[in-house]
Amino acid sequence: MSGRVITITSGKGGVGKTTASANIGVALASTGASVALVDMDIGLRNLDILMGLENRVVYNLVDVVEERCKLRQALVKDKKMPNLSLLPAAQTRDKTAVNSDQMKQLCAELKELFEFVVIDSPAGIESGFQNAIAGAEEAIVITTPEMSAVRDADRIIGLLEARKDEIQEYRLVINRIRPSMVKNNDMMSVDDVLEILSVKLLGVVPEDSEIITSTNKGEPVSGTDNTRSGLAFRNIARRLRGEDVPFMDLDPQNSTWFSRIVQFFNPAAVRV
Amino acid sequence: MQQVLNWFFRSTNGTVRETAKDRMRTMLVHDRLELPAGRLEMLEEELVAVVSRYFDLDKDTTNFDLQQFERNAALIANFRLLRSKC
Repeated sequence: MSGRVITITSGKGGVGKTTASANIGVALASTGASVALVDMDIGLRNLDILMGLENRVVYNLVDVVEERCKLRQALVKDKKMPNLSLLPAAQTRDKTAVNSDQMKQLCAELKELFEFVVIDSPAGIESGFQNAIAGAEEAIVITTPEMSAVRDADRIIGLLEARKDEIQEYRLVINRIRPSMVKNNDMMSVDDVLEILSVKLLGVVPEDSEIITSTNKGEPVSGTDNTRSGLAFRNIARRLRGEDVPFMDLDPQNSTWFSRIVQFFNPAAVRV
Repeated sequence: MQQVLNWFFRSTNGTVRETAKDRMRTMLVHDRLELPAGRLEMLEEELVAVVSRYFDLDKDTTNFDLQQFERNAALIANFRLLRSKC
């Protein structure tokens, strides 16, 4: 098997990289694909918490690289889906514990075992990020519609663009969109961000308090049926698999006279 | 009533959203080119000097702007030419 290695990155911290990694991993696995989630944020391990697997971690990525254990021993199987595994980061080491060549080697091994290898990159543009993209052919850039996040996303896109030979495709996910703020023209819209960054769109995820609840439970939202953010992540997974899935309509520019009248009398009506 | 009309005919000009977008565009054009502050003004002065050797210019309407063109920048310069000098 030769799987796809996809790195999830953003530049700025706190925009939802780890949440996106967990949810995209779960969503891909629920389509039936075999998936490895790799936490590359060495020293700041978090992906295990979002997956609810923190009690099952025995070995970690650095143990594999330093040959203290076999790759299969370090992989933690998901509680619900046997086709989904987590390779946790080391918590007591730092980003200098691995290098790009070791990561390339690790990704090559993972590709043989899984259809999708989803790598959660640390924030920043230094060695941690460089290691996270070392073995990848694809990248997903996460941003929110805030100026600082968009600026950092632009920087990351510049760096990915400079590695065109290795990174064959990168697409954007706009996270934490607040349709009501966009509607009031208090925030940039999806189209605004796309126009500014000139990049292909992979998905749009609305702001959703369910994300906090799901993190506390250790069950990513994309594993359940009834949340808007979960649906958005499942759509992203389907698009990654090559399906043509229409984007959720969150943009106020599509509003017509009629929809505004409907919205005036029933504010909930536009949330489709 | 005015408020109701504004609500139906609202435009995006002058909104926080538009401000953010404009700031963002300018910032990224400079970021991508790694353009230090003041550099563009320097170029403008030199270009005006060069064009002035060939033409009389209406300097008040000279317009000099960096615009985004996909992920690249475009330098848009507008010189209003009054007459040739030679």
